[in-house]
Amino acid sequence: MSTALFHPALYASLALCALGLAWRMSAWFRVRVGPDACTVTPWQRMVAALRGVAVALFGRRLFRVLGALVLDALLLRRLYANAKLRWLGHQLILVGFTLLLLMHALAALVSEKLFQGYQPTLEPYLFLRNLFGVMVLVGVGLLWFGRRRERSGFAQARAFLGAAFVALLGFVLVSGFLLEAHKIASPRAFYRMTEQYAGTTDAEQLKPLRALWASEFGVAFADLQQPIAADLVERGRELQRDACASCHAKPASAFVSYPLARLLAPVTGLMDAAGADTWLWYLHVFACLLGLASLPFTRFFHVLAAPISLLVDAAAPQRALSAQPYAIEARASQRALALDACVRCGICDERCSVALLARYLGNPDLLPSHKLIATGALAKGRLLRSGEEEHALRAAEGAFLCTDCGRCTSRCPVGLDLEDLWQAGRGDLAVAGLAPPAQWVQARPALAWAESLEAVPRQHGLAAPDAAFAPLSADRRSFSRCVQCQTCTNVCPVVAHSTDAEHGIDLTPQKVMNLLRLGLSDLALGSRMVWDCASCYQCQESCPEGVRVADIIYELRALAVRRLGSVRSRRQAA
Amino acid sequence: MTGARGDICDVAVIGAGMAGMSAALFAAERGLSCIQVGNAGSLLFASGLLDFLGVHPVPERQLWQSPLEALAALGRDEPDHPLARLDADLIRSAFESFVTALGAAGLAYAPLGERNRKLFTSIGTIKTTYGVPRSMVAGVRVLEQRSPCLLVDFRGLREFSAAQIAATLGRNWPGLRQQRIEFPGYEAVPELYAAHLARALESGELRARTIARIKPLLGDARSLGVPAVLGLARASEVHAAFEAGLGLPVFEIPTMPTSVPGLRLRTALETVVSARGVLRRRQASVRGLSFGADAATITLELDGAAAGERVHARAVVLATGRFTGRGLTAERKQVRESILGLPVHQPASRAAWHQRDFLDPSGHAINRAGLLTDAAWRPLDAQGRPAWKRLYAVGSILAHQDWMRSKCGSGLAIATAWGAIEQVARDLRATATG
Repeated sequence: MSTALFHPALYASLALCALGLAWRMSAWFRVRVGPDACTVTPWQRMVAALRGVAVALFGRRLFRVLGALVLDALLLRRLYANAKLRWLGHQLILVGFTLLLLMHALAALVSEKLFQGYQPTLEPYLFLRNLFGVMVLVGVGLLWFGRRRERSGFAQARAFLGAAFVALLGFVLVSGFLLEAHKIASPRAFYRMTEQYAGTTDAEQLKPLRALWASEFGVAFADLQQPIAADLVERGRELQRDACASCHAKPASAFVSYPLARLLAPVTGLMDAAGADTWLWYLHVFACLLGLASLPFTRFFHVLAAPISLLVDAAAPQRALSAQPYAIEARASQRALALDACVRCGICDERCSVALLARYLGNPDLLPSHKLIATGALAKGRLLRSGEEEHALRAAEGAFLCTDCGRCTSRCPVGLDLEDLWQAGRGDLAVAGLAPPAQWVQARPALAWAESLEAVPRQHGLAAPDAAFAPLSADRRSFSRCVQCQTCTNVCPVVAHSTDAEHGIDLTPQKVMNLLRLGLSDLALGSRMVWDCASCYQCQESCPEGVRVADIIYELRALAVRRLGSVRSRRQAA
Repeated sequence: MTGARGDICDVAVIGAGMAGMSAALFAAERGLSCIQVGNAGSLLFASGLLDFLGVHPVPERQLWQSPLEALAALGRDEPDHPLARLDADLIRSAFESFVTALGAAGLAYAPLGERNRKLFTSIGTIKTTYGVPRSMVAGVRVLEQRSPCLLVDFRGLREFSAAQIAATLGRNWPGLRQQRIEFPGYEAVPELYAAHLARALESGELRARTIARIKPLLGDARSLGVPAVLGLARASEVHAAFEAGLGLPVFEIPTMPTSVPGLRLRTALETVVSARGVLRRRQASVRGLSFGADAATITLELDGAAAGERVHARAVVLATGRFTGRGLTAERKQVRESILGLPVHQPASRAAWHQRDFLDPSGHAINRAGLLTDAAWRPLDAQGRPAWKRLYAVGSILAHQDWMRSKCGSGLAIATAWGAIEQVARDLRATATG
């Protein structure tokens, strides 16, 4: 079997992987997220990082970092708290793959050094290799199953690359099992071994051994007479003891490959003739090398970035407790690292408090996992290229409609400080001239917006589809009880503090309710009341008629983004 | 005091208007554990003035200086009227308890006497009432004496016009003057809201600037009338500061509902009721009632903000009000009690609900519709028996009264709540000992 291509390919993949890692890791110091990150140079950031590592290694925080290494990076306790099934899948892959890598792929460096007389065809390695392989496959299956059950309603960003990498992983495993199964069943391999270790290929001489290997080791000889005589097998057992036993155990414990070998028996002759042992080996090994080379360029780079992010987080001053401000040199690097450490698990999307709004507006960039990608794209300048204008507007809408509720941060299995990332991203958007909705809505008076809406055919009216997302504004019963008593206005702190005639409140809450009663909600959409409401809920709690004033006002804001947004883009197009 | 969900409390009060608040307050003061369900928002429509009984008989619109004499006359003419079924001394004790409790919550009332008082309103009409907040009581004497008086209002406060009052009352009151001023800090705001001014005046600085603007206008005035905006939670302090700063009696003039005195009343009642240990479910309503198999407890199924919660009580007081309070529902052919569907005493057909003339001084038959009760305030079922042995009804939901035209709204609420809670205490004691 020729493996001449192996070493060039190995070194090429290693070089690609190393270059890729260097490039990706350098981004942790190069990429600037947030206007404040532009005040420090990559060099300052790198120095700060090195100092941070030194402090972590030789300071009191070492124990916290070690704790994070075990509990967060290895045991994945945050994932366990959020999604038990995914945690199981993830742990199966992590443990199975790591052990396969050490015991099997790096056998020359690890197993042969550690275990005397290591042979891949001996127990317990035969069994363990199958076990680890199955662990990885089951893990992949669990993650795929969990993924299918997600209900965010949007396709995951750049899903294709991720799926391709998972498929590659599966291919490595399946080709490995096939290779092992073929080697078990292959008469050609049998003869190659006997020639090498028993010094003969003579069929008559090998008859007892063949009988034994056919009946107990699964070799699929095409020319064997059935049934096999028992005394022949016994004689074969003696030969086996002398020539083979030091390297070969019965393969029945390879609980995947062995049944697979029996299954392949009818075509083993054909495969032998086609040189299957060589090309299966190439497929298996080259798939591994392809994975190695492409790892830094896919989202599975997180296998490195996520644990590092967790350790950095443990080494950093505690977010809420620290008295001294967390230096921007370190924070800037942590933000860039967060862009890589995100594993795209989507747990944040499931908990996002504006998820409903995201579906209503048809804008995935409201959801944290999508927003993180957009934030990165903006920081790397990709979002500002021509052709990306629509996406940039969507990203701005997503960033500024976020309510900063903090659920994404509290649920992130990688412990990312997403709040800080969102805030930095909003800064970048503002610098890029991508304004929050409140800004462009308030740039024109409510009446001007209403006139623009009037010019548009009524297809955007408060019709059936809105009722699902704006149930209160669409249902007369929710505001028809209003008796215009002014209580909401009287208790409203926003109206109370609006003492500026020019920029003051144009409509009071009770006037907004009255516009709804009159079927003139368009007049309210651009009003300062709707956009300056502090959501203190005093109006709602005081309303003698039980009208949900604050809830309705928040709903109007969502309606405004959609309806005024449609007129806005028409205006811009015109 | 039973607290946790699932426990059984002594009384559940349904409704948080004047009657519901009174019932909860009196129950707590008697040491009964009490839960109250309902939004106190309807109190915002109150004027802060507490009527006892001002008019009788309604068709003649006869005003009474003495509510006690009016009550005696009512008892002779309308023995079925809920107020007529209560002893005069008992009603006065109820009023005393009520204003004492409000005083404890920082809302001071002038001492109650035996007589009704008269004061003028934001449109210059004269209002006869019984309990008057201390911040308004100076206006009573000023109106009697017609002494030199300055009325001040604020530009932008649409619900109050000093000019309108002066135009109405000025003919028989030569010393009545009026001035309109800018409210300091709000010069640029086109429209002002009373509650915002009230809150602003709780700040010492704005208060001082307002007083400084009024002082040069006083002239020979011996008192000052202003719209009812002198503070919310700290109204007594604001009123005292105005009198001290200006050196003469200052009185608030009641404004149109919803008004600052209504906000004060609601806040004070919510404060005092909670402080007395009443459990409150504020943004909730009652979906239905079910009676225990042992007839000892009644279960309330809550809706709204407390949807899904179940409350158990030994007695229930229905204080759900009339149509605006949604205690009664007017259907096409009949009036229905909203929660239990109790029989409502009402005209035989819809044609008889109203008089031909909307402003007929006698009022309309529909205004006297409501629940009939036995002597123990228990609403009756279709057979004329108590619907349940410890279900009571109080306030405006009761039949045989027209509180708006009789000027007896607060009196009806406070007095019937007092009577019913006294009955509840008696009945629960009887159960415990018997």
